[in-house]
Amino acid sequence: MFVPPVAGACAELSGESAAPALADWCAGLRGAALTIDGLSCRFGGLVAVDDVGLQVEAGEHVALVGTNGSGKSTLLRAVLGLQGRSRGRIVLDGTDARSPGEWDARRRLAPWIPQRQATGRFPLTVDELLDSSGHRAAAVGVATRLGVAALARQPLHTLSGGQLQRCFIARAFGAMANGGRLLLADEPTAALDFDGRDTVAGLLRALPASVLVATHDRAVAARCDRVLEMANGRVREVRM
Amino acid sequence: MSADTLAAVLGLAVVHRAIAALLITGVAMPVVGVFIIGLDVVTMRFAMMHVALLGVAVGLMTGFDPTACAVLLCAAAGASLAPFAGRRDGLSGPMVMLMTMAIAAALLVLSISGVNAAGAFELLWGSLLAVGMRELVLVAVLAVAVLAIYLGFRRPLALLLFDIELARCSGVRVEALATLLLVTVAVAVAAALPLTGALLVDAVTLLPALSARNLARSFDGMVGLSMVFGLVGNSVGFVIALLVDLPLGPILVLTAGAITLLTFVVGRKR
Repeated sequence: MFVPPVAGACAELSGESAAPALADWCAGLRGAALTIDGLSCRFGGLVAVDDVGLQVEAGEHVALVGTNGSGKSTLLRAVLGLQGRSRGRIVLDGTDARSPGEWDARRRLAPWIPQRQATGRFPLTVDELLDSSGHRAAAVGVATRLGVAALARQPLHTLSGGQLQRCFIARAFGAMANGGRLLLADEPTAALDFDGRDTVAGLLRALPASVLVATHDRAVAARCDRVLEMANGRVREVRM
Repeated sequence: MSADTLAAVLGLAVVHRAIAALLITGVAMPVVGVFIIGLDVVTMRFAMMHVALLGVAVGLMTGFDPTACAVLLCAAAGASLAPFAGRRDGLSGPMVMLMTMAIAAALLVLSISGVNAAGAFELLWGSLLAVGMRELVLVAVLAVAVLAIYLGFRRPLALLLFDIELARCSGVRVEALATLLLVTVAVAVAAALPLTGALLVDAVTLLPALSARNLARSFDGMVGLSMVFGLVGNSVGFVIALLVDLPLGPILVLTAGAITLLTFVVGRKR
């Protein structure tokens, strides 16, 4: 398993223009193990995730690939309790969340980059979004690296799809700095240009924590330790 | 209206109370409107009118204070909607059910008790010029509570009203906060009905919030602007109604509507 050296990870995450404080949060990161066992999720009669078992070791980076509708997003959402499960266990850092308090703790441990970033019914600025990560300095640092820090006062609904995605990525990294140990990234490069894809793939690779990323992007998948494929709600390993 | 008549009207105690009610509702009810739009429960007003009617019917039948019954029943109804707030289907279905069940129950209670239904339906035609001290105090307490909720929960509120899943993933206790907001909205609508009537509730609640949404760039900006538009709309509407000697209610609605249209045009040009 590739474990990024902390110094190298900090350099990648901070880039040239970010604040020195970045090194502090980056050095404190560590991964948590995720075990999914016999997980099934249904939408009425449709089985979106079918008896899935998978393991992400602490610090491991795993890519989840597969066609549209194969169940990748549902799986990630189930880890966060945003999607109900009909059966199975999802254990992160030794806990299978069941109570509201345990789900709150789970969501702190597992920051999320959503596939469809909300633009909301309400005005919310980039600054307010980054602030919601719980670690403003880290989020702003990554936003700087991704070229969206200057948009701080812009309402999210005025941004392009790519800018919005970069803001949500920066927020997720801020949440990692705020105690996150497993990053769940759902198509994190789908709306980005070529340079943006490379930058985000590099940032994800540099993260010294566990990562489970659903992606169609070969550059992202190629930089992960393992690649799993989902088809018809089931998972199989395609590369070690 | 002549200057002497105007001075005489402004010297009346009922007008003083009406002005106080306009200023209080002008500040607080637009914030409730922000909650309503954010939670996407615009039909809540209709639902609460029906539930309030049931409360009044129960009050008339049992001899308890009808307004207190209406407020309490609305609070309970608001809380009962909370479990549906985070669901994909939203609150429209449960609210329609609540609304129809409440009006049916109200008519049944009125029929069984033999109480004159007109007494209950008067609630829907409240008047600012018939505001008593008790209603004024109730709305003032509510206004303080609404502003305290906003100031105390600014960050979680901004996230919850922006996107419920983002709020959940940011550590916001979505269920608890949604319950608090729904109860607040329900009680606020019920408490404002005797003052403003069903017609004016929208003018003092939703229209200033919609005006603010046309221009605001952040959650705090939206709340602040909604209060400004609420105060300006109520004040300007009141002055116009006095000067042209026309009914206050429709003038207030038209003034708030004109502000909303103006902000829509300005907002599109920005």
